[in-house]
Amino acid sequence: MSLESVIVTGIVLFVIGASGFLLRGNAIVLLLCIEVMLNAVNLILAGFARYLYGTEGQVFVFIIMTVSAAEAAVGLAIVVALVRLFGTADMTGVNLLKG
Amino acid sequence: MKPVMDTLVFWILAGTAVVSALAVVVLRNPMNSVVALLVTLLVTAGLYLQMGAFVIALFQVILYVGAVLVLFLFVIMTLDLKSSRERPVLSPGGLAAAVTAGVFFIAGAGWFASRGGFFPGTAVSPGVPGNGPEIREIALDLFTGHLLVFELASVLLLAAAVAALVIVRKERSRP
Repeated sequence: MSLESVIVTGIVLFVIGASGFLLRGNAIVLLLCIEVMLNAVNLILAGFARYLYGTEGQVFVFIIMTVSAAEAAVGLAIVVALVRLFGTADMTGVNLLKG
Repeated sequence: MKPVMDTLVFWILAGTAVVSALAVVVLRNPMNSVVALLVTLLVTAGLYLQMGAFVIALFQVILYVGAVLVLFLFVIMTLDLKSSRERPVLSPGGLAAAVTAGVFFIAGAGWFASRGGFFPGTAVSPGVPGNGPEIREIALDLFTGHLLVFELASVLLLAAAVAALVIVRKERSRP
């Protein structure tokens, strides 16, 4: 297991999450794709933390997990409000900010 | 653990992570996507274990799988999204974009590999598995060096909790 293989795995996971975010329309799946991207970043940070023998990388992973939990709470609240308003979780029909 | 075994376990875990992440994107039913994400997170916890980051692996299981994914499942079951229909996942344009991005990624990875990797001369990570920093060192670093970040995280969590309550609140009278 080398540092590069960890980084390549993280990049592939991040790209999958980002492309899923751009391709899918379901609001809950969009949030899941954000979780995949954060997970990929966590993986790369942990790889560097091990590579450099440091503790900062793992501390940052904790902080990112906290931010991810907060983001999931707020994002799911927004999804609940959207479903209450539109009756569906499909984001393609949401155009409230359209001028 | 022998290096060959180490590499083999790593690639099995990484391949499972990539396949289950693809399943998160491709599967139609959001419930199946959540289960696929569960597999991704557990496999990533295994990767953390292999890197010697036991504390992170522990919190990955407790926090992500135990809290965040359960919240997702709870919302999906509450909302009952069966009736919502969606456009097909991979349109021809999206498929073409994915293939183009994949070709460029493979080309870039080959270019990096041809010039000796991302970090020339330091290809293999040092140390043996399980040789990472202990929880005591991490806690010392978190509570001394990064105390401000820790406090800001607590403020962020409070703000997120209040914001979630405000967003889902039903307004009595709309002007």
